[in-house]
Amino acid sequence: MTALQALDWSVVWSYGPSLLQGLLVSLALTGIGFVVGGVGLGTLLAAASRSRRRLLRWPARAFVEFWRSTPLLVQAIWMHFAFPMLTGLRTTPFESAAIALVLNVGAYCGEIIRAGVDAVPRGQFEAGRALGLRPGVLWSRVVLPQAVRIVVPPLVGSAISVFKATAILSVLSVNDLMRVAARVSANTYQPIEVYTAAAALYFMAGLLITAAGAGMERGMRRGVA
Amino acid sequence: MGFQPRLIVQNWPALLAGLGETLAITLAALLIGVAVGAALCTARLSGLRGGRQAAGGVIAFFRTTPEMILLFWAYFCVPEITGANVPALAAGVVTLGLVTGAYLAEIFRAGIQALPRGQNEAARALGLPAFARWRCVLLPQALRGMAPPLMNYFTELVKNTTLLSAIGVSELSLRAYLLGGQTFRYLEFLTAIAVGYFVLIFPASLLSRRLEARQSHA
Repeated sequence: MTALQALDWSVVWSYGPSLLQGLLVSLALTGIGFVVGGVGLGTLLAAASRSRRRLLRWPARAFVEFWRSTPLLVQAIWMHFAFPMLTGLRTTPFESAAIALVLNVGAYCGEIIRAGVDAVPRGQFEAGRALGLRPGVLWSRVVLPQAVRIVVPPLVGSAISVFKATAILSVLSVNDLMRVAARVSANTYQPIEVYTAAAALYFMAGLLITAAGAGMERGMRRGVA
Repeated sequence: MGFQPRLIVQNWPALLAGLGETLAITLAALLIGVAVGAALCTARLSGLRGGRQAAGGVIAFFRTTPEMILLFWAYFCVPEITGANVPALAAGVVTLGLVTGAYLAEIFRAGIQALPRGQNEAARALGLPAFARWRCVLLPQALRGMAPPLMNYFTELVKNTTLLSAIGVSELSLRAYLLGGQTFRYLEFLTAIAVGYFVLIFPASLLSRRLEARQSHA
């Protein structure tokens, strides 16, 4: 009880700017992971894993399976400590973290996107071809509009997972909210105030991301319907 | 330089002990998670409005907040608040157990709600008591539907056990990281455990997909 009575929340205010800056780094990593990894790399991987060329399809599928079946923490420390031993390339903690996250999210979303395109009924492709549509028109007018509707809800849903995953990258001394909180706590000896504030910030930001995703999904459904 | 597999062979016992600890953490968190998940799911589906809302809030909190901050909170704040000594392993297992409970509660709920209403109504019409209705009619069907997401969550849980390394639990990833530091050969150890995690997780992920495919055809 004494510990709770002795709480001094002023530490949260005096370190508030640092914590918010940490949250910004977390959100920046989320953005990079989601846009570059999820949408960008994910689309490329989905296209490669549906390719008719084995030389594209097999490496893409192997990459997706391997990256989905290993922990992000191991990927991140591998990227930072083992990768330079292979290549001689040195990356900063933030770069290593961002690369690991992009590859990780890319593998996840690649699978989501591939499954979405696969879920478009075969008859749609066949009908398009039977009508003599060129491949470009077939994809842009027939297949993709249907695939996007299937893919967007799970893709947007994965944004919250990306956000949560960024906290793992703090092990590489990336100055995200998690690491800033750990450092402030170590400096002030006030773990209860600092970690509770950080958890509350994470929870609120996470709720906002979830709500934004749900709103976007609703808006899209209205737009397409 | 190159890749020196000899290092992995030499440190095999330490890596194996780490793997054992990873599996033990997974199992313990799973047990806590099943109990917590069943309780949360019961509250979520109950007739009590307060219970439903409280369970919904708890589930949302544990699914939205990163595991890492929860872990640090359990390890650094709980001892301060209670005055009790909290070992890192206990803090880690309980935290993962609670997070698992929140995810399992949603899997359980989805599985139960996916059952056709007629099953429950028919069992009631036959006069089956509540226990028999759940034991013989509802749960066997619901469990079959839950198997793929449960397997899938198992893979997430194994991956999440690596977070315990951040509070100093000597599971597989921390041991490999420390061995890498001692020998200055991160490449061998980190690659070895990456393959190890893959061997552990990939079959579960395949099984989950196979079960799901079979169900959607049936």
